[in-house]
Amino acid sequence: MKETAQYIDFFRSERQRIDSGSLPVLNARRDEAAAAFERLGFPSQKVERYKYTDVAAAFAPNYGIQLQNAPSAPGAPSDLAAKAGVPTSSPSAASTVDEAPADLVSRLYGTLADVNADAITALNTMLVQDLLLVHVPAGTTREHPVQITYQLHSSAPLMQNRRLLIVAEPGARVQVILNEKADAQQDFLVTQVTEVFVGAGAQVEVYDIESTHDRFHRFHQFFAEVAQDGRLTHTAFTLAGGLSRNQTDVRLSGQGASANLLGCAITDGCQHVDNNTLIDHLAPGCRSHELYKYVVDQQSTGAFAGRVLVREQAQQTDSEERNANLVCTDQARMWTQPMLEIYADDVKCSHGSTVGQLNAEALFYMRQRGISEPDARMLLKQAFAAEVINNIPLKALQQRLHILVEKRFRSCEDCRLCKK
Amino acid sequence: MLEIKNLHATIGGKEILKGIDLVVRPGEIHALMGQNGAGKSTLSNVLVGNPSYTVTEGSIRFNGKDLLAMSPDERAHEGLFLSFQQPVEIPGVSMVNFMRAALNAKRKYLGLEPLDAGSFLKLMREKRKIVELDSKLTSRSVNEGFSGGEKKRNEIFQMAMLEPTLSILDETDSGLDVDALRIVAEGFNKLRTPETSAIVITHYQRLLDYLKPDIVHVLIDGRIVRTGGPGLAAEIERRGFDWVREES
Repeated sequence: MKETAQYIDFFRSERQRIDSGSLPVLNARRDEAAAAFERLGFPSQKVERYKYTDVAAAFAPNYGIQLQNAPSAPGAPSDLAAKAGVPTSSPSAASTVDEAPADLVSRLYGTLADVNADAITALNTMLVQDLLLVHVPAGTTREHPVQITYQLHSSAPLMQNRRLLIVAEPGARVQVILNEKADAQQDFLVTQVTEVFVGAGAQVEVYDIESTHDRFHRFHQFFAEVAQDGRLTHTAFTLAGGLSRNQTDVRLSGQGASANLLGCAITDGCQHVDNNTLIDHLAPGCRSHELYKYVVDQQSTGAFAGRVLVREQAQQTDSEERNANLVCTDQARMWTQPMLEIYADDVKCSHGSTVGQLNAEALFYMRQRGISEPDARMLLKQAFAAEVINNIPLKALQQRLHILVEKRFRSCEDCRLCKK
Repeated sequence: MLEIKNLHATIGGKEILKGIDLVVRPGEIHALMGQNGAGKSTLSNVLVGNPSYTVTEGSIRFNGKDLLAMSPDERAHEGLFLSFQQPVEIPGVSMVNFMRAALNAKRKYLGLEPLDAGSFLKLMREKRKIVELDSKLTSRSVNEGFSGGEKKRNEIFQMAMLEPTLSILDETDSGLDVDALRIVAEGFNKLRTPETSAIVITHYQRLLDYLKPDIVHVLIDGRIVRTGGPGLAAEIERRGFDWVREES
């Protein structure tokens, strides 16, 4: 396939430049990744996990590939120590240098994100330039959330491939907020691979908030492993974007581990949001909770596929999966596919999804009280999305998201894209 | 104030109203009585512009304007209010946001500035007292988890907030116990002025004992077949509807 060849050719001809701007630990994995990527190629829509997104089309244009480390301000909380040759930053003490074990990155990098299982992960591993490490030592609680903001600006089309590694040692606690933004109306393509290691009894919350534009293409491959009694919360919040594909894979590998996956997508115009999740119950007594809600407007499309796998040894699993969707126009489309696969015999699992329109009775009730139809619709959509926000453990972020969602719906109603 | 002429309306292709004529003047309270299926709720829905109903013939003028040409929200701004027979629960929309949106929409229509947060909450507190509505309820989502009685009290509370000139009470007494009925009726009476009117739809005399209608209409099969004074309601309570049907 020519889309695949384009990246392989680039990698071979620019190998030296790719390596020179980057870290040995990243360079060491490129050959294996390139071989895997060449073998796998971009997945067609016949590949189960990619059936709702045309990946090759997204990667077909010739983007300029960024081959320098992202600029980082020294001392800033999201500083990339990578620049100084130390690929770590310790969020428990942002001002001091690294306290992480020296071999941490080489030991963990790429162990969850298997290049042989996924083409986009392979492509990212082949071309990646930046790695950011968030390391929280055992028993440490990071008091304030770590905020990482990616704000792309470029005068030409740009592709960026980046990595994030979050390591919470046993008993550690950390909240990480990822802000994906773009301040230029430009064609952007981002691949991000995130690997999260939640140690025994550790608590990690990752909030991934995308607020970009219709020329932004984003593929986020998120992998997490949760050890005994560890807790992971992951939120994929798509406020605005062009093409957004979030693949979220969680391994509950220690007894009593839990995962709470939340997602919300607000789409209009020609936007496409595809959330694909896999929760793998590998140990007994684990809990997983999943809630994804979409408000799909105008000609936009949404997809949700959530697979919960309960292995034979994962007795006493408690799992709940729900996807609810509001489809606001005749042209908007939503695909939903909750999947539950159970091999254990003593479990409590549920899954379900709904696709519907705004409640006509509620709309009329509001209009009788004098609320205009656009405002009534907006209030109902906001209320729909609010359920996801209210489930977010970080209260300050709840408030912020309520405001951002309201703003989003207001501009959506005002811009009237669908009527142009 | 309200002038209905030869009103015909259908729902799902079925004709429910078959020629209604009704005039309501400022300060009047009209009672509309009739059995199930007579068209009482259809009339109230048509008045407030429920899109499920189609007007096939006739006209409605409200304060001299063509009511049927207005959207439901415009009708509300013009002073029309319906106390719903079954108020809708709206999970996730708080009473505060809901009332603020409604009140400020009306103020905008009237060319007034939106009410600031402080004055708005003060107004909510004052109006709540009229129907003894607990502050816990107004901090919840609209009607969510409200009992039947609380929902009806909430309707009158909203009426107090919006100060309509013509209110339609659609079986506001249904599902209310004696105490709740008294609170709702007394709340309504506190809001009365010489300029405000109401159409009260009910099966029973007991609500009318509180509201004291000036004029009573009996609706049978989509038409008003009899109109009289307060005595007519008492007579129906005593004798039922059949004699009206026979005499009409």
